[in-house]
Amino acid sequence: MSFFNFHDPEVLRTWLLSLIIFLPALGAGVLCVLPIRSDQFFKRFSLAITVLVFLLTVWLAIPAGDSSAVGHFTLGEPGMQNVVDHEWIPSFNIRYFLGLDGISLPLVILTSFLSVLAMWASWSIDKSVRAYCALFLLLETGMLGVFMALDFFLFYVFWEVMLLPMYFLIGVWGGPRREYAAIKFFLFTLAGSVLILIAILVLYFTSNPHTFNMLTLAEIGQMPDSPFHQTLLWGKSVSWWAFVLLFIGFAVKLPAVPIHTWLPDAHVEAPTPVSMILAGVLLKMGGYGIIRICYPICPDAGYELAWVVCGLGTVSMVYGALAAMAQKDFKRLVAYSSVSHMGYVLLGIGAWSATAEFQYNTDYWTMGMSGAMFQMIAHGISSAGMFFLVGVVYERVHHRNLDQYGGLFARMPVFSGISMVIFFAALGLPGLCGFWGELFVILGAWSYSKVLAVVAASVVILTAGYILWTIQRVYLGPEYKGPHGDALTPMTRREKYIAAPLVALAILLGVYPKALFDYVTPTVQKTVVEMKDWSEQPKADSQSVGWVERSEPHHRKNPPKKMVGLAPLDPPYFSEQPSVDLQETEQP
Amino acid sequence: MSLFTEPIGLSHFLVVGAVLFVCGVICMATKRNVLGVLMGIELVLNGANLNFVAFGSSVLRPAGTEGIGMDGQMIALFVIVLAAAEAAVALAIALSYYHAHATVDVDRGDELKG
Amino acid sequence: MDINSIIPLLLALAWLLPLGSFALIFLFGPRMGRAGRYSAYLATGAIVVSCVLSFAALGFWLTEHYPHAAAGHGGHVAQPISGEWYTLAEFGRLRLTIGYYIDSLTLAMFCMVTLVASCIHVYSFGYMHEELSDVTDPLAPLSNGQPLRRRGRYCRFFQYFSLFCFSMLGLVVAGNLAMVFVFWELVGICSYLLIGFYRERRSASNAGNKAFIVNRVGDFGMIVGLMAIWTGLGTFSFAEIFSQVRPIAAGHQLQTPEGLSYGLLVLAGLGIFCGCVGKSAQFPLHVWLPDAMEGPTPVSALIHAATMVAAGVYLVGRFFPVFTPEVLLVIAVVGCITLFLAATIAITATDIKRVLAYSTVSQLGFMMLALGLGGWLAGMLHLFTHACFKSLLFLCSGSVIHACGTNEMPEMGGLRRKMPITSITMLIGCLAIAGAGIPTLIGMSGFGLSGFHSKDYIMAQGLLFSTANPGFGPIFFYAALIGAGMTSFYMFRLWYMTFAGRPRDEHVHSHAHESPLSMTGPLMVLAVLAVVAAWNLPFTELGLKPLLEQARPVGTVEGVAGGMLLPNVAMPAEHLAHEYANSVKAEWSAFAVALLGFLLATAFYGLRKLDPADARRTFSPLYKLFVHKWWFDELYALLLIRPVLRISNWVEAIDKRVIDWLADNSARAVAAVARLDDWIDRIFVDNTVNLLARWTYSTGLWLRRLQTGNVRQYVMWLGAGLVGLFVLMNLYWNYATAGG
Repeated sequence: MSFFNFHDPEVLRTWLLSLIIFLPALGAGVLCVLPIRSDQFFKRFSLAITVLVFLLTVWLAIPAGDSSAVGHFTLGEPGMQNVVDHEWIPSFNIRYFLGLDGISLPLVILTSFLSVLAMWASWSIDKSVRAYCALFLLLETGMLGVFMALDFFLFYVFWEVMLLPMYFLIGVWGGPRREYAAIKFFLFTLAGSVLILIAILVLYFTSNPHTFNMLTLAEIGQMPDSPFHQTLLWGKSVSWWAFVLLFIGFAVKLPAVPIHTWLPDAHVEAPTPVSMILAGVLLKMGGYGIIRICYPICPDAGYELAWVVCGLGTVSMVYGALAAMAQKDFKRLVAYSSVSHMGYVLLGIGAWSATAEFQYNTDYWTMGMSGAMFQMIAHGISSAGMFFLVGVVYERVHHRNLDQYGGLFARMPVFSGISMVIFFAALGLPGLCGFWGELFVILGAWSYSKVLAVVAASVVILTAGYILWTIQRVYLGPEYKGPHGDALTPMTRREKYIAAPLVALAILLGVYPKALFDYVTPTVQKTVVEMKDWSEQPKADSQSVGWVERSEPHHRKNPPKKMVGLAPLDPPYFSEQPSVDLQETEQP
Repeated sequence: MSLFTEPIGLSHFLVVGAVLFVCGVICMATKRNVLGVLMGIELVLNGANLNFVAFGSSVLRPAGTEGIGMDGQMIALFVIVLAAAEAAVALAIALSYYHAHATVDVDRGDELKG
Repeated sequence: MDINSIIPLLLALAWLLPLGSFALIFLFGPRMGRAGRYSAYLATGAIVVSCVLSFAALGFWLTEHYPHAAAGHGGHVAQPISGEWYTLAEFGRLRLTIGYYIDSLTLAMFCMVTLVASCIHVYSFGYMHEELSDVTDPLAPLSNGQPLRRRGRYCRFFQYFSLFCFSMLGLVVAGNLAMVFVFWELVGICSYLLIGFYRERRSASNAGNKAFIVNRVGDFGMIVGLMAIWTGLGTFSFAEIFSQVRPIAAGHQLQTPEGLSYGLLVLAGLGIFCGCVGKSAQFPLHVWLPDAMEGPTPVSALIHAATMVAAGVYLVGRFFPVFTPEVLLVIAVVGCITLFLAATIAITATDIKRVLAYSTVSQLGFMMLALGLGGWLAGMLHLFTHACFKSLLFLCSGSVIHACGTNEMPEMGGLRRKMPITSITMLIGCLAIAGAGIPTLIGMSGFGLSGFHSKDYIMAQGLLFSTANPGFGPIFFYAALIGAGMTSFYMFRLWYMTFAGRPRDEHVHSHAHESPLSMTGPLMVLAVLAVVAAWNLPFTELGLKPLLEQARPVGTVEGVAGGMLLPNVAMPAEHLAHEYANSVKAEWSAFAVALLGFLLATAFYGLRKLDPADARRTFSPLYKLFVHKWWFDELYALLLIRPVLRISNWVEAIDKRVIDWLADNSARAVAAVARLDDWIDRIFVDNTVNLLARWTYSTGLWLRRLQTGNVRQYVMWLGAGLVGLFVLMNLYWNYATAGG
């Protein structure tokens, strides 16, 4: 196959997706060797690259309809689309395997979108700009790659690629305690990713033939007689261990409560644009990993440990909200609100409502998980917005002490108006994006556990508490109380242009959430229906619900025929329609 | 049986060589003059040469043995050439030593002290 | 034309017009004329057009559903118009939509809200006039002691007003619970923004926060209710919920639907009611409403008297078919406590707006009580009449405050002559809220101001309930009776203290003046409404009562006798309350206590025959309790706010002291291991190597002494060595060792 035969849609697709991922890295390379020394040029150049990538991702998001253009997204199609699959390291069966579905596409677009805004917000960076821009672009490559990769190995490579630039971006361009924060961030995340690596290898060596293909692994994991059911350690199955390791790895990123303390420090020290990316995109990788990897590959462990996932989610929500209330530092407060908001994501994903005692309906879990996806996007918008707004005022007065603000409404009216919208979006006000994610997650959680749902619902009070208190301390009041009051000039045009798209999206998603659900729900539904089918599989060795029995030592006698040789990834493989299952669930 | 009673053979040559060698060594060790030392060296070399020539001689060889053939003569020639070259270098060193110390007394120079 | 398509269209227009106005003012407000003065016209125009459209929709409705006398109670049930505008989200068979559920209650609410809102918009022209130029706010002192000077925010006021109207109308038109919840929150945020309109004042922003957060507590309960309903029934749509809970097959009687257990149905009802408790400022979440008076007075009139706080009552009325008798009893208890509690506080309050605020809480308690006792129409009717006279009272108080520049009644007095229109309209309002009228005399049925009719219905229902439940029923009736008496007392106390007698503060009195026409005009319109709101049009059957009767939820006409959990409670049918014997008794007792209240007020504050200070001394403990608002704020601060803050500090400390300590110390432990490793390297490994090197070195040093530099010595060594070698060879060498 020639890679330059552009009449072949396969080749075009390869180029398109690869271009999206590697264009920033390419840009970073070019940036490093260009014989130009103008900081302004570096920023413009990087912005141009991010804009280009954003436009390409938007091209991916355009609903295909009847058009046959390469790359458009087919709405309502739950499987993988735009699949690119080439050999990479054949001796280990590692492939260059990319694809998009309803779960990854919104996150890809969020990434490219926030990268544009964050790059534009980087105008105030003036320390070794060339390196900053290069690292930033490299970071974007890593993030996009993580969301697009379908090969575990490739996924892991991108995961690590994203880690290092972030370390340097915090550690070099950060605030006074930047080394501490950067190392903390790095160590926490690295510890998590090591666990992920172990899980990847365990799964690789357990599957037969060995494969890194996430989709194949998911198929293996959902087989009634899966090799992942064999015991690995301490009476627990491979699947259980893989789930736990992966979950911890992703939970660090999310972050869930006991392992969240890197986040406030990283945020406080990171420069504004990096905070935007960190909160807007990096946290979403945890949620994405859990939806994409943990549940499909290890459904039985997910079933068994749903209470852990949901419990951690709820604890994060409450804990983050309470911690936010105690903060004096504006950025720390926003960081803790992120912990609280990402707790919703965990709860929504984990609320395996198939376990609900009197109802067995996938719709509620679909709703919860879609809500979690929506929450991720909404949080990406609102938290990036909040960090940007904090950055705007920090650049002016150089402090973040909440008790020393006040009266900003009179000094910076437009800024305050925008802040109100963004903060209310974070508060979960209807009509803005934060509301729907929270509502659907909580509604979905009720079918799983009423107690957790009620606790989760009570968080709306705490959220209102800390957000309104913050607004009161910062924006309201007769006068500004802190230092550098003269510097409180109204927003510049550039700052307005950065904030405006965030505000617009917050309102759009708040008023018409279906715009996003149209992309997300089919894929989520497919995942959920697969889980349901898995849990309804005839249990060979038991009559009851049966994860207990299934996690007994359980050696596979003969490998299933289907898995012999990596199945050629022909379209039907990806467009596996759950139509039959849907019809089943539609029966009341 | 003594050297003095038997016919001239290999041993006699070896004794003369040894005497020459020892004389040379004693000369080297006792003379403080550079030139004296050089002379001693010449004596040592020639003592060795005499041995080589003696071992290489077909006449002096014990009956029924092959000896070292022509090699003795060859090496002796080499040593003579080498001695000539060495004498040239040594004299040059002596000259420069004289320039440096205004004397040819070897005890006066201890630049090679470790 | 088909009313099923035209009415939703008209209402949608009426609903969206304020949104358009909001958007325009939001974007271009300050540029609309000097200081944005034309924004007021835009907002008012929008709401007036909405009002016209609402009445047009009502007209269309009447073409189909004209209330006939023969219909009687529940005879003619008009089918509600319900449908969907667009879908928000869809998960399998679960759908969430923006839709509508329109019956005569919706239409009446639309007309009431838009009408009252129009009046208040016009009133605000005058009241908010000073916001057109720069404002000096003495209540927001700067750190240097100077009062704050700030730009006027005229257009922002109308912007928030428009947003509020949009949200309120959306709440009313909503076709499903989720949509109700959406607009529920939106009116809440409008309330927050408008309470905090004077955002420079600490008290105002505190009050705004308090209002929103207390409402959120209610919303938390509402979310629980929503979850129970959504999971149990799989829908939020009113029409579908009602058809599942009261299926036609069961004759519209309350059934436990398939997905819900009875307990969950009760929980759902309680949850929804919890939201209403927050929004309608019922006990125990009533604390926010009095503080909400920090907002400008038109806000208090529109949001915190007429419309938003009534939304809770509206939702209880709307969701009435789903409430089990247990829930209804809870509603009644809460309403009863609220009406009594708030009335006692209103008696002692001196801030004119706070008196009205507590009066509002108390009246909302009346409505809840009525609904809880099964008097659907009574509660709803009181909602409407209350909206008219309470907005009138608030606007009058606004007019007074505008004239005097103070809220404190002890500084007023004798304003009757200076402000004739205000004083008369306010008197009408007082009469209406006290329920002035002529009770049923021989043959003549009772007749009076709007409040008379609605309060009469409530009392009748209370009396009927007490006869149906002789054990505990009378408590409700007598509480309501005492509440009605107190209402009359504190309202006339307010009027006397403000308008009658001699001026108590000359300075205030000399500055007072009658308000401009833009303010008195709406007063007169609302005064008329306060009088006639509950009347039928002369010589017809057309009026609020028959109209609302059409909207009575199907299946609730007849009373209910007991639920599963409380089998002994009987909710009597409402129409029985209007039986002659019952209603006469109720009317006369209500009339008597109202008169008593009026007479007491007159004796204390009008004629000054009795001294209020004496009463204060005599009932000192009670007075303290009332004047401190039963110490609710302090109680909540002690029990809820401070613990939450303390816990949040603990959480912060856990983060810093425990989790971070663990993380930092594990990092430190690793570093310590590294240091140990380093030490081992240096002590053991490095030292071994160094020792060897040192030995070698010292050996070399020692050997160095051989190198004398003396040529003759070298030769001597050479010779000695040679000799030594020979000796050794002679001693040890043989052909065997040489391998020869």
